[in-house]
Amino acid sequence: MILEILSIGLIVSACLALFLDEVVYSVAALAGTFLFTALLYYVNGAIYAGIFQFVVGVGTLAILFLSGEMLSDKSTKKTSPKKLSALIGAGVVLSLPAIFLSVSGSTGVYSDASFGDALWSLSGVDVILQALVILTVALGIAIILYEQKKGGK
Amino acid sequence: MDFVILSLVMLAIGIYGLLTNRQLLKVFISIELIATAATLNFVMLASSMGQGLGQAFLILAFSTDTAVSGVVLALLVIVTKKYGTSNINEILKMQEKRDSEAEQ
Repeated sequence: MILEILSIGLIVSACLALFLDEVVYSVAALAGTFLFTALLYYVNGAIYAGIFQFVVGVGTLAILFLSGEMLSDKSTKKTSPKKLSALIGAGVVLSLPAIFLSVSGSTGVYSDASFGDALWSLSGVDVILQALVILTVALGIAIILYEQKKGGK
Repeated sequence: MDFVILSLVMLAIGIYGLLTNRQLLKVFISIELIATAATLNFVMLASSMGQGLGQAFLILAFSTDTAVSGVVLALLVIVTKKYGTSNINEILKMQEKRDSEAEQ
């Protein structure tokens, strides 16, 4: 029962995040999406995934709230209660197939590797991905500095 | 309860938002939803088979996703400050206007 409630909450908050007119309320709905996802992971036994989803979600949302305040047009219209209830209804309807339908089939792959073993065996991929992260951040900083230099001229 | 269908619905909502929203921040939220749908599918399938591999991959995916999000947000702020709006249609119109003025 709790999984069904969480999945309905997930889809409804995703719909609200995309289609609410106010940016700040959209970001608040996205916070709900991240929270429901973390709870789904936790309830299904993926505890580490739930904790990481929660932590990363909090960081992303803090930045999104700030940039949402900076970028939003102050003259945006407010969402009417009719549209809000329509969005919630659409979200509930969209979450029904996940509750009542099922896809059968098995991958045939099974491994009893624990979380620690899996993380250790993936350490090579981790190093490559960290290099990618550093490269991406360096690229972002270079773009910002280039734009500032260009704007200063 | 099927998590494959749940993540498919999330993916469909994200793609629909990506195609219909014209605000840059909403486009970014759509991309976040698509990434969440992908990781949800992956972790749920892995955890239902009793594997820790899915959770380990999730952490690696998060590290790249967060870095990309930071860069995308920085670009959003730059574009919005440069053009004075966050609407994609208006930005394209301004760009076309500038290009035509530069040609003349």
